[in-house]
Amino acid sequence: MGSAHGPISVGSAGTQSRGEVWTRPVLVDGDQSLGAVTRRVCDVVEAPKPPRAWYIAITISASLTLMLFGMVVYLIATGVGVWGNTNPVFWGWDIVNFVFWVGIAHAGTLISAILFLLRQKWRTSVNRAAEAMTLFAVCCAGMYPAIHVGRIWVAYWLFPLPNQMQMWPNFRSPLLWDVFAVSTYATVSLLFWYMGLVPDLATLRDRAVTPLRRRLYGFFALGWRGSARHWQRFERAYLILAALATPLVLSVHSVVSFDFAVSQVPGWHTTIFPPYFVAGAIFSGFAMVVTIMVPARELFGLRDLVTMKHLENMNKVILATGSMVGLAYATEFFIAWYGGNAFERFTFLNRALGPYAWAYWIMIFCNVVAPQFFWSKSIRTNPWLMVGVCILVNVGMWFERFVIVVTSLSRDYLPSAWGYFKPTPIDICTFIGTLGLFFTLFLLFCRYLPMVAIAEVKTVLPDAHAHDEHGHAGGAAHGRSPEVQHV
Amino acid sequence: MTSTSTALETLGPRGARWSQLALGVGVLGAALAAFLGSQFHDGFARFQHAWLLACVFWLTLSLGALFFVVLQHLVRAGWSVVVRRVAELVAANVVVAAVLIAPLVVWAAMGHGSLWSWADPESLRASPLLQGKAAWLDGRFFAIRCVVYFGIWIGLSRWLLRHSVEQDSAPDAKPTLALELRAAPAMVVYALSVNFAAFDLLMSLSPTWYSTIFGVYVFAGSVMSFFAAAVLIVSFLQGRGLLARAVTVEHYHDLGKFLFAFVFFWGYIAFSQFMLIWYADLPEETEWFHVRLAGSWKLVSAVLLFGHFILPFAGLLSRHVKRRVGFLSLWAVWLLVMHAVDLAWIVLPPASHGHGAESHAGGAIGLVDVACLVAVGGVWTFALVRSAANRSLVPVGDPRLPESLAFENL
Repeated sequence: MGSAHGPISVGSAGTQSRGEVWTRPVLVDGDQSLGAVTRRVCDVVEAPKPPRAWYIAITISASLTLMLFGMVVYLIATGVGVWGNTNPVFWGWDIVNFVFWVGIAHAGTLISAILFLLRQKWRTSVNRAAEAMTLFAVCCAGMYPAIHVGRIWVAYWLFPLPNQMQMWPNFRSPLLWDVFAVSTYATVSLLFWYMGLVPDLATLRDRAVTPLRRRLYGFFALGWRGSARHWQRFERAYLILAALATPLVLSVHSVVSFDFAVSQVPGWHTTIFPPYFVAGAIFSGFAMVVTIMVPARELFGLRDLVTMKHLENMNKVILATGSMVGLAYATEFFIAWYGGNAFERFTFLNRALGPYAWAYWIMIFCNVVAPQFFWSKSIRTNPWLMVGVCILVNVGMWFERFVIVVTSLSRDYLPSAWGYFKPTPIDICTFIGTLGLFFTLFLLFCRYLPMVAIAEVKTVLPDAHAHDEHGHAGGAAHGRSPEVQHV
Repeated sequence: MTSTSTALETLGPRGARWSQLALGVGVLGAALAAFLGSQFHDGFARFQHAWLLACVFWLTLSLGALFFVVLQHLVRAGWSVVVRRVAELVAANVVVAAVLIAPLVVWAAMGHGSLWSWADPESLRASPLLQGKAAWLDGRFFAIRCVVYFGIWIGLSRWLLRHSVEQDSAPDAKPTLALELRAAPAMVVYALSVNFAAFDLLMSLSPTWYSTIFGVYVFAGSVMSFFAAAVLIVSFLQGRGLLARAVTVEHYHDLGKFLFAFVFFWGYIAFSQFMLIWYADLPEETEWFHVRLAGSWKLVSAVLLFGHFILPFAGLLSRHVKRRVGFLSLWAVWLLVMHAVDLAWIVLPPASHGHGAESHAGGAIGLVDVACLVAVGGVWTFALVRSAANRSLVPVGDPRLPESLAFENL
């Protein structure tokens, strides 16, 4: 099993007497020349026609998006009553889906910011697509609070805008903090994504054969010439944005968890919510990245850039964060008993044994049991099995939000006020519609923008380290220790 | 790399001097602590709290180190190899905390409630709330759990140290592969044990109170305190000519980044715990903070807010500070003090509780606490130096050592 772990053993001169010396494996397969990377990524965008599967996929997803628009128009024209939200469950699928999509949005920034600060160079092959996915997920999430307000024409009241009525949102409400948290997150994610795109857009501009493409890519490339000064500023800005985005990864879902946890509702008010929501968000976000990257790399011939190693690493993150979520579930359950609060005890027993037990056990199976399959290397390196597990994880994380939102509200302190929440077809079609919107945007991104960060991948290629004896990314040597220094 | 010969990198005869000195300080501290403890005339109840505080302080250093070592294997880190042996030794030193905390656990298991009040069957019977959790808050079951926690930590840390030391004399990549392969399950066991040990050893001091995040809170402080200690230990050794070529400013920079990250993480967790309890304002939860926001503890709470979070956050932000060993060490000392204050803030308020709420005149943190910290610290350091004495201070046979030696922050 050990040799399968990938360290390439290179006994370099002068160290052989000390036994094995490991260097880092190359992160990209196939032709590793700089030009080959550019060609492989740009070919997807520059091909006269995308693959047939792309047409089929976008036909389906665009149809679902149309359905979403129809549902939203119907909702606005008729009122929020078309949803299943009613006494006692006034937060139904809209909040569930909002939290679900915000959670999905977490992988992008984690990969681009935190993994950047942790020098995880494998991120370069997947960060662009993950960041794009983040933005599209935020679009789906942000829509829900706006259409939930009922009178959508005053949705801008969510923001604290000075007005002649002297009317302000409640600054003590975590719902307002959400407005700030999510909009800040969306802004920084967009900046991060776009800034990373600039050098690649310039590459596309320089390769363009039609004037329209040249003008469009040229406009968005902001006059990038690739000079040393450009690069120096770029690298600095990237580091600063990464540092700024890192707390945002924690803050967004922490604030979302506050929506529940500041209340006194049993099952909602528990102090572990912030870190537990963040772990769950990263868990679901990575599952979505794997779910869409596996087909995307097949479809667009990017298997050499997004290798099995990349997918395996993401699956390990899924296993780690999934286990954190499992630990949080166990802690919550234990403290519900240990705390001695009768309502807390009831809430948790009600989750596991009450009318929503089916949802609870789906959640436990998908979130706690399913990721454990990734302990097996053969499962976490098999494209179809990993997609299967990741889809389960996405299902499970949706049900987690459903269980939290609905079980606590449906049975509160007063048994005479209990009820059973049922979604309406409008609820269901709206949610399916957001899936359509998400995939439509992603498919358009695949077709018109470089799916892999060309410039960043080049930095991990052997050619980028001309003086490196080991010839590998990961910086085994920069000429400081004598035996690897040779000029 | 050829410069790091094993002969150069052991403590040698100096180790014996240091360990004797540490033991002397420890014994003096213990004598002083026992004398101060007797002055309370409370059957050593106050002393027990101080002793628990001291044991937990030194225990958390080891637990932070254990997390660090397991994490390095889990993620196959390259940069950290040169400082990993120090962490391995600190982690394996958990046995000291186990021995010194054992009398407290035995005392509780015998039914004495002077430290963990629930251990007294009378107080358990008096409270209907506590009766509901009598199955968990049971002296003997508690002792068994403690044996399990410390058994896990001692076993895990010794196993990590043993495999790493094996490589020193016979360079071989196999131990590294074995450690990397088993680091993931080790992390699972670690997380479970630390989470529940925090509930048992510290949270149950206020037996009616509960907070699901409490284990994470203790974990955050532990890991932070380890990085502070690592900076100090490495710079101490470098000041005496050891590790001189192995550890560079680049490694300090990374230790500083982790220190900064865990200052921030601690602040995030502490804020989450406080804000959610304050906001919901439920009496069964606010009782814990109520005590800590009254009397002299109010000042301590403010000290933690600024000293454990805001000031070090600002102070460690700059790259410049993290790359100046002097500045970094200053912050490391500061943060270790803050970590002790944090633990005192957790452990000590219940000490004044059952003995007349207003009776604890003379400040929140007393000389007896300092004496206990010194006493346990002396023994702890003695054991650490002893276990380090004949071992290489760098894992010279680790296959990732060249990467660590050549490491640079770019």
